[in-house]
Amino acid sequence: MTADISCGESQIFVKASRSGLCVACKGSRFLCGKTRCPIIVRANYFLKSIPLMQSEDIAGASPPSVFVGRIGYPYVYAGPLVPPVMADTSLYDLPEYWFGKSIDEIVGFRSMLIRGKHRVHVQKFWEAGKIVDKTRELALAVNPVDVELLLKKKPRGFIVLDDEVQPFGPSAPIRDLLVGNARWDHQIEKAYYDTDLKAAEAVLELYQKGVLLTKIQRAFSVGAFGLERNRRLVPTRWSITAVDSTVSKALMEKVKAFPEICEFRVYESRYLDNIFEVLMLPGKWSYEAIEAWYPGTVWNPSGRSAVMFSDWEGFGGRTTYAEIGGCYYAARLAVCENLVKEQRQAAVIVLREAHPGYIMPVGVWQVRENVRNAMRQKPYTFKTLEEALQFIASRFQIPIQRWIMRSELLKNALFQKKITDFLEKVR
Amino acid sequence: MFKLKVADAKLLRDMATAISILVDEATFQITPEALKLRAMDPSRVAMVDFEWPKTVFEEYICTEPTKMCINIGELLKLLKRAGKDEVVELALDEKTGRLQLKITGKYARNFTMPTLEASEEEVPTPKITFNVRAKATTAGLRQAIEDAELVSDHVRIEADNEKLVFQATGDLMGATIEIKKGSDALLDLEAKEPSKATFSLSYLSEIIKAASATSDIATLEFSTDMPIKLDFQQAKEGKLVFYLAPRIETA
Repeated sequence: MTADISCGESQIFVKASRSGLCVACKGSRFLCGKTRCPIIVRANYFLKSIPLMQSEDIAGASPPSVFVGRIGYPYVYAGPLVPPVMADTSLYDLPEYWFGKSIDEIVGFRSMLIRGKHRVHVQKFWEAGKIVDKTRELALAVNPVDVELLLKKKPRGFIVLDDEVQPFGPSAPIRDLLVGNARWDHQIEKAYYDTDLKAAEAVLELYQKGVLLTKIQRAFSVGAFGLERNRRLVPTRWSITAVDSTVSKALMEKVKAFPEICEFRVYESRYLDNIFEVLMLPGKWSYEAIEAWYPGTVWNPSGRSAVMFSDWEGFGGRTTYAEIGGCYYAARLAVCENLVKEQRQAAVIVLREAHPGYIMPVGVWQVRENVRNAMRQKPYTFKTLEEALQFIASRFQIPIQRWIMRSELLKNALFQKKITDFLEKVR
Repeated sequence: MFKLKVADAKLLRDMATAISILVDEATFQITPEALKLRAMDPSRVAMVDFEWPKTVFEEYICTEPTKMCINIGELLKLLKRAGKDEVVELALDEKTGRLQLKITGKYARNFTMPTLEASEEEVPTPKITFNVRAKATTAGLRQAIEDAELVSDHVRIEADNEKLVFQATGDLMGATIEIKKGSDALLDLEAKEPSKATFSLSYLSEIIKAASATSDIATLEFSTDMPIKLDFQQAKEGKLVFYLAPRIETA
């Protein structure tokens, strides 16, 4: 086994771009020009010890879980994720309950999820026949459902890693799909049968009723919401960010009406070698997310210094997609949840240091749950911004000056004077 | 009682647009002599000081001083429905607290909108001794600002007795825009001492873009690391002045 791994490692030569191209791409856009991301391929070799499925027929309890690919859009691969396990597998697809688990544990159960693939046009479900219907039925289920997944060939490939989507196991085209009796989540079912309810409204309504984000996102990706003629499959990657973005946008509108906090706060959380420091400043709502990737982390394997990326928005919000991707929206959701709960408004800066222990991407849930965890802690409070920054400097290895130069909101807070500063001088 | 009439809807629309750059809910001071507004944006970085004497209006009736707060964005939506030479009338119904808007062109349209609770905040204008005074065309300023916006999100404005310079430095690119005395864009330049100050381009460009619809000539006044005053010359003794606080990089 060990020989196997080392042999694999020596065969794969990984050289990542020094310029931070990999951090921008995160294995999704192939900016380096290669057809497969070498970093992902290398990460896969670490996982080679996981035994491959030898059978074409998989019978097991799906958590429930489905996956809709994005390659070839609008013709995408959709289908269920089924582990060859007959037990309560619900945890396998509920990232809300994963916080605190190790990478090994998460990869352990995620890699058992075999993905059945079926080519389908995102809007023309009827062409795809019953496989898509069954997949949707599965996606709306409230508990694990017994599924028999009959594949055309043995599952190929290893575990699939992605920065936004939780990892999952090998895949193969579907020959036939048998789904046992599923009880649907009654709230989601209501939204599904309401063909006059817009998708965004359905998402918000379900969120307000306390339905877990993952469940909303799963139903969203199989086209269960929206006006009837607009319904479509949404690639899982996109659906995660779509739901994060829709919900946080609605929460932001509430936040903007609340009174401002009156001190500087720092919340922190550390998980999977990702350190989050969330800084809240008194003032109108605005938001910024900055991430720093250490040399040796997934997206910066051979760089000499940490690569930093950031994006921000002011009180008026944003209209373009954030440069740093889905984690921007996931963290925005987590901080808005807390501000709404507290009925306060603030300018929020989410700072993230990814250290070398973060060896493979596990999905954007890590950011959401990590920031949510930070929000559950009691914040450190400070009278001045300088003190708060000093505290953050003591927690991070990257000098605070580099963070400041990277951060629009911090530069604004430190350098932009206010008209009121000049009124008081006169009095 | 408060009532006013404007012969050209565009005049009112441009003015409302300029105010909406900084404030959502605008509290107007209404006196028998003039319509006034002075307010800061939510983050208190910029201020607008606006005044239209009754002479600007076709008709202006105000029997006693009062305050009126309206959502300026909503008002703009209605004003956008008015064509260029259509007559607009505004009247405050004191009983219901609603503002009536009448647009008369080929046919008459009546809208009503609610007024909001007026803010009690009295905003003084900053008293600053300005060392530089430059009179420029708004078109010229707009060009300079648009150039600077290509490379950075803030700009340093410098002046001595010879020239007015806009200097922008971004992460990768830089720009220097020089307007010499005697240029068509610069009508007048006086500097008691060479001065420079840095300002946010997002504010500056929005202010200049919106205000240049109402005016062709602007007077800039500033001093080193002090707020800038932008006075947009109005027809018929109207006043539209913006103040913008500087950025001071101490690090």
